[in-house]
Amino acid sequence: MTVGALIADLRCAIGADRVRADPFEMTLYDRDASTMRGSCAAVCLPASTAEVSAVLRTCRSHDWPFVARGSGTGLAGGAVPSGPKPPVVVVTTRMNRVLDVDVDNRLAWVEPGVINLDLSRAVAEHGLFFAPDPSSQQSCSVGGNVANNSGGPHCLLYGVTNAHIAALDVVLADGELVRLGGLDAEPDGLDLRGCFVGSEGTMGIATRICVRLTEKPRSVSTLLADFTDMGNAARAVSAVISAGIVPAALEMMDKTIIGVVEAYVQAGLPTDAEALLLVELDGLQGGVRVESAAVSAVLSGHGARSVRVAADDTERAVWWKARKSAFGAVARIAPNYYLHDCVVPRSVLVDVLGEVNAIARAEGLLVGNVFHAGDGNLHPLIVFDRREPGVEAKVHEAGRRIIEACVRAGGSLSGEHGIGLEKRDAMSLVFTEADMAAQKCLRDAFDPEGRCNPDKVLPSGTAGCGELASVPAGAWI
Amino acid sequence: MAVTGRNLLGLDPDELSCCVSCGLCLSTCPTFRVSGEEAKSPRGRIAAMRLVSEGAAVTESFLEVISSCVMCRACETACPSSVHFGSLMEDTRASLAATTVPWWQTLAYKTLERPRLLRLLTGMGAVAQRLHLIPPALESRLSLPRLAVRQEPLTPTGSDVWLFTGCVMDAWQRPVHAAVIAVLSAMGFGVALPGAGAACCGALHSHAGLTSRAVTLAGRVMSAFPGDAPVLVDSAGCGAQLRDYGRLVGTDEAARFSARVHDVHEWLAARADLLPPVKAGAGPLTVAVQDPCHLRHVQKCHLPVRKVLSPYASVVELDDDGVCCGAGGAYSALRPEMARAIRQAKLSAIDAAAPDVVASANPGCSLWLAGGGAKVEHPMVLVAQRAGLV
Ligand code: SF4
Ligand code: SF4
Repeated sequence: MTVGALIADLRCAIGADRVRADPFEMTLYDRDASTMRGSCAAVCLPASTAEVSAVLRTCRSHDWPFVARGSGTGLAGGAVPSGPKPPVVVVTTRMNRVLDVDVDNRLAWVEPGVINLDLSRAVAEHGLFFAPDPSSQQSCSVGGNVANNSGGPHCLLYGVTNAHIAALDVVLADGELVRLGGLDAEPDGLDLRGCFVGSEGTMGIATRICVRLTEKPRSVSTLLADFTDMGNAARAVSAVISAGIVPAALEMMDKTIIGVVEAYVQAGLPTDAEALLLVELDGLQGGVRVESAAVSAVLSGHGARSVRVAADDTERAVWWKARKSAFGAVARIAPNYYLHDCVVPRSVLVDVLGEVNAIARAEGLLVGNVFHAGDGNLHPLIVFDRREPGVEAKVHEAGRRIIEACVRAGGSLSGEHGIGLEKRDAMSLVFTEADMAAQKCLRDAFDPEGRCNPDKVLPSGTAGCGELASVPAGAWI
Repeated sequence: MAVTGRNLLGLDPDELSCCVSCGLCLSTCPTFRVSGEEAKSPRGRIAAMRLVSEGAAVTESFLEVISSCVMCRACETACPSSVHFGSLMEDTRASLAATTVPWWQTLAYKTLERPRLLRLLTGMGAVAQRLHLIPPALESRLSLPRLAVRQEPLTPTGSDVWLFTGCVMDAWQRPVHAAVIAVLSAMGFGVALPGAGAACCGALHSHAGLTSRAVTLAGRVMSAFPGDAPVLVDSAGCGAQLRDYGRLVGTDEAARFSARVHDVHEWLAARADLLPPVKAGAGPLTVAVQDPCHLRHVQKCHLPVRKVLSPYASVVELDDDGVCCGAGGAYSALRPEMARAIRQAKLSAIDAAAPDVVASANPGCSLWLAGGGAKVEHPMVLVAQRAGLV
């Protein structure tokens, strides 16, 4: 069937103004916040569950693939329309209502296009917030958080998105609506909700999400320590955790990053430091006071040149703004960046950081590091200018070597950004064929025709259920 | 469908490539918030400019991407890589001006430059309004305030500071200037008023891309303020434009002039100890501050408004992170549907804060919000009232 017929039917299904097929406009949906690009057949802007279902039914009758997209702030190309047949992009930004807040049970039903920070703002009057706080929280959507099982600085204490989703209403690839999970503490049956969170849009489109809200901490203390040696900073991170303290957040930035964020926020950060640690403690006032003093002592004991405590909410907000704007701010050095996301055991943080810097140096590239040190989630950020001949090849080569180094050190492929298109072909570094076949089986159970965000997460040609003759020993099933 | 064969916008490729597509600007953009469309987001607009700069044809959809922008420049404040969105957009519009600015819009701007004509029309409009001669549909499209039939003339009181009187401001909101003069006089500062040359700052021309006309107007304005006394401005949009003359005109003289320009609240906040006392017996008053984008994102001096108001009223914030109200200079008349959708969100934030009155330091925003049913006053009028000066 032709694209023209598909577009005509989509227009019948949800209205002409909700379906865009102008080539110029469609180009704007070719990419997310990563550097990968694809192309799409049409862009749909449904405003309700019924409309999403109508779009997916239409795609089914045309045997056409589709990709869900929230705010498009993903960093692994998860929402990039790709594959042999250009998919339909289903944008959820118009589904942006907070439907119901249950203060007593600390639950809220929201639509997928609600912006993460807007959700926290909407429930703030009840003393509640939505805990996952990715750096893009001012723009990213809750639907996108679900798809990527997003993390964020404060997930060190509160846990990643999966811990904050109670139930989901999902439109499957054939247009059917199902509810996954439930509001009971222990819903019956298999945890299909848990399967769906982090599935990167490969199992359907969540159109109503029931989130668990968290009580705002009574008291918060934020510390900023600067080091003249990166190794000392990394050792201080382990020492804090070994001292039995789990901060709400424990973040590190290196010299390159300190320089660019300071230029943007002007927070008075010491730009001559080799590393900065941002540590946040929250809870009851007494405990926070004691822990804050203990952390401060540990940091000083590991060579911190100075340890400052945020005087008030304004200062705290500025420090966090500095941390959260790092990715965008690097554009002041060069216009393109390639941001990595891998997790390594905290104990090898120092070695892996050294290795990352050496790899970048060997390729003649500049790398900045800003990351969730507390859980060993590294974000090496390679900065480059695409217009420089041959540079992209070098960036990809460095990227590949960084991933390999992390995996060798016992790490994982992705901490929180997902696999998407970016790391799809690196899956085999961590998973055996049998592992991937098992993942494909699960995915096929939700989407037997393979039309739901095709081309993502699993390398093309991954064998499916029953296609693999035997399961080798040691497979990660 | 290609509208024209030109494919170069004359934009600096380095500036365009500063946008790394992170999307952190999305939620601050009023048109993205109400439409959810990438084509109506800062990131989408920059991507579109890049496409055309790299050779894509200028199509209807590109023009829509460009013309649907309110030019609130909130994206500029939000952007961690400091993309100069305002100048990218102005330069793009300047390159497109010949094909995109409709004749009647150019004509309307010509009227703004001619104060006597504007005053005459305003007077006629006031009479017509009272006689119900203006069709209601047109009236709400232009968000006309209740116009005064006769305006009290303003009198200069000295020469310590200049007050910029402007076009729309002077004709439609002369009481605001009167309030500023009253407050400054009570603080012991004499106010000088410019001659007819300072009629129009050229902001609307700049936003529409009519750059050369804007430069001419800038020259006229500058020569109306001789000497080196500070030039105070009580309209956020005009203040932003006057402060931009250095860049727009590109001469040392213009840069020196721009350095003399201050938003009136900013200037007063630095002298807050001299502010006149609240008049005896004034009851409680809750004021919600609406930040005009040209104060918050362009001049970056929205906080002084709170400092100046705080002795006179209890100030509450709107819980919408200062997103634009949709007025956007001529935007509300040019794109009424989008502008109304944006205004609706602002009105909900105002309802939630439940103030007695909203303070807005820009005539465009005030008229536009009042047109939506909000009770709006200029902060300086509130100060003068609470101090018993007017
Ligand atoms: S915040 Fe700046 S860099 Fe990021 S998408 Fe917006 S304009 Fe581009
Ligand atoms: S200037 Fe305002 S309306 Fe235009 S893109 Fe930026 S935020 Fe959006």
